[in-house]
Amino acid sequence: MFRRTRQSAEPVGSDLIKFRFENREILAARGDSVAAALLAAGISDFRSSVVSGESRGPFCLIGNCFDCLVEIDGEPNQRSCQEPVGEGMQVRRQQGIRTARISYES
Amino acid sequence: MSPDVLIVGAGPAGMSAAISLAYSGARVRVVDEQLAPGGQVYRALDRVSTAYPDALQILGKEYADGAVLSDAFKTASVEFSASTSVWDITGGKRPTVGLVKDERAEMLHPTHIILAGGAMERPTPFPGWTLPGVMGVGAAQTLLKESGLVPKGKVIIAGTGPLVYLYARQMIAAGAPPTVIVDSAPARVPAALWGLLLKAGLADFGPLNKGRSWLKHIRAAGVDHLNGVTEWKAIGDQSVKGIEYRRRVGTRRLECDLLLVHDGVIPNTHLSMVAECSHRWHPLQRYWAPTVNAAGASSQPGISIAGDGAGIEGADAAACRGRIVGFSVACHLGLIGREELKSKIADDQRKLNKLAILRSFLDHFYRPLPSMQVPPAADTIVCRCEEVTAGEILKVAKSGCVGPNQGKAFTRCGMGPCMGRYCGTTVSQIIADHHGLSVEDVGHYRIRPPVRPLRVGQLAALD
Repeated sequence: MFRRTRQSAEPVGSDLIKFRFENREILAARGDSVAAALLAAGISDFRSSVVSGESRGPFCLIGNCFDCLVEIDGEPNQRSCQEPVGEGMQVRRQQGIRTARISYES
Repeated sequence: MSPDVLIVGAGPAGMSAAISLAYSGARVRVVDEQLAPGGQVYRALDRVSTAYPDALQILGKEYADGAVLSDAFKTASVEFSASTSVWDITGGKRPTVGLVKDERAEMLHPTHIILAGGAMERPTPFPGWTLPGVMGVGAAQTLLKESGLVPKGKVIIAGTGPLVYLYARQMIAAGAPPTVIVDSAPARVPAALWGLLLKAGLADFGPLNKGRSWLKHIRAAGVDHLNGVTEWKAIGDQSVKGIEYRRRVGTRRLECDLLLVHDGVIPNTHLSMVAECSHRWHPLQRYWAPTVNAAGASSQPGISIAGDGAGIEGADAAACRGRIVGFSVACHLGLIGREELKSKIADDQRKLNKLAILRSFLDHFYRPLPSMQVPPAADTIVCRCEEVTAGEILKVAKSGCVGPNQGKAFTRCGMGPCMGRYCGTTVSQIIADHHGLSVEDVGHYRIRPPVRPLRVGQLAALD
């Protein structure tokens, strides 16, 4: 679906970021959004929709459409096009309807 | 400390306004959701230039030229807050801006607010537009700027507008031309528009020549360019596998791995709407835009609006508007005199007059596709968030629903996380069409804060 240009394909040293999507290791460049890194890795199915459960992926990539929502480090409803990749991040596909998570810590 | 002027958006309009105000001695803060200034048009320019200059070559001169403005912005005495979202705006005697960055929400009370939120690609409801692998042409271009991503495999572009040809040219430069452009514009300029085209050419032949060279480039690269397409749908189950389009009387199916769509751009109006600025409907380009005067002042005291967020005019015009609004606000705050204001903005006003002639031709030639305004197929999803179809909207209109806000109660249309950004105008047009009313009569969703995601915890962190 997408490839990187030759020079953008070779992040080295501290510019190389490794994170996980589900159980897969993804290599990305510092400054990539999570959405761009996943699309570059050939992943376009980011979540299942809230009513029909159909597959969805990024559409606008400027933070307006909310179709690229994923779970990042346990936090759901993250716009993957607005979140920069971080070393060791755990990204998961968002499944269906959003839920409120309430914690009672003081 | 609240600044004198808070500017939302660091695209050409926001950057120009900030530079003008800083020059006039105002304390200015600019906030933007991106990591760096530039807006959508000059997005990630620094990163591209240093980390992957091969993408700079692909993006071309129009993009690289943004460095002049962004360098001036970086050296100006302006506070810039990256990765910052705005979730509320209130005008009046004590203007208020609600911000959120990381875990902290913040309320500021600047003396004046300038909205420079720019544009978004026009929503294009057609069957299958929610499939993974269907995205905006602008979205694909964002990936090229932000991360050096180039499409691979079979790529089809559907739609029309200058961005289609610019991006197709960039794909060709990257060695990955689209297989087909399914174009909704006519192949030739109709006779009725020759007058406008002639005027545009007499004002400045440069932009028209540039457009012609893009088209020539596309033809020379062997891209199949089909004009006069009226409707299409995306085929696929888990992801897009092809397109079926209607041209003249026949329909045809083509396979693809990626379907990029574009039907022009429209103003981002959620901030001006949440601030309850008055808006007007642009009948030709079919979008809502805030009502502003020549100095960019909105109907709300304390709020001015610059650039494409006040009506689509393009990046060059946005920079002019930014300077005019910036110096006008500086004058309003008593930082510069009337005479100085006049001399500062005279060149920009002249340039805007010239650009308006070209814009008039573009607005008439690249008309929004009617099948994307009121989708003919009842099963077309209109509200991507809550998965409400055109048929369901029509059904509630038939049962007596006369406005988009009432429609929410029946269908949840517009109540998802995008807050109606992608369905708002379509819903109003379906309802208006059914009742034989104008879109202006039907109106738009009422937009309420927060217009960006805000967690209760972030809100609780407010001082």
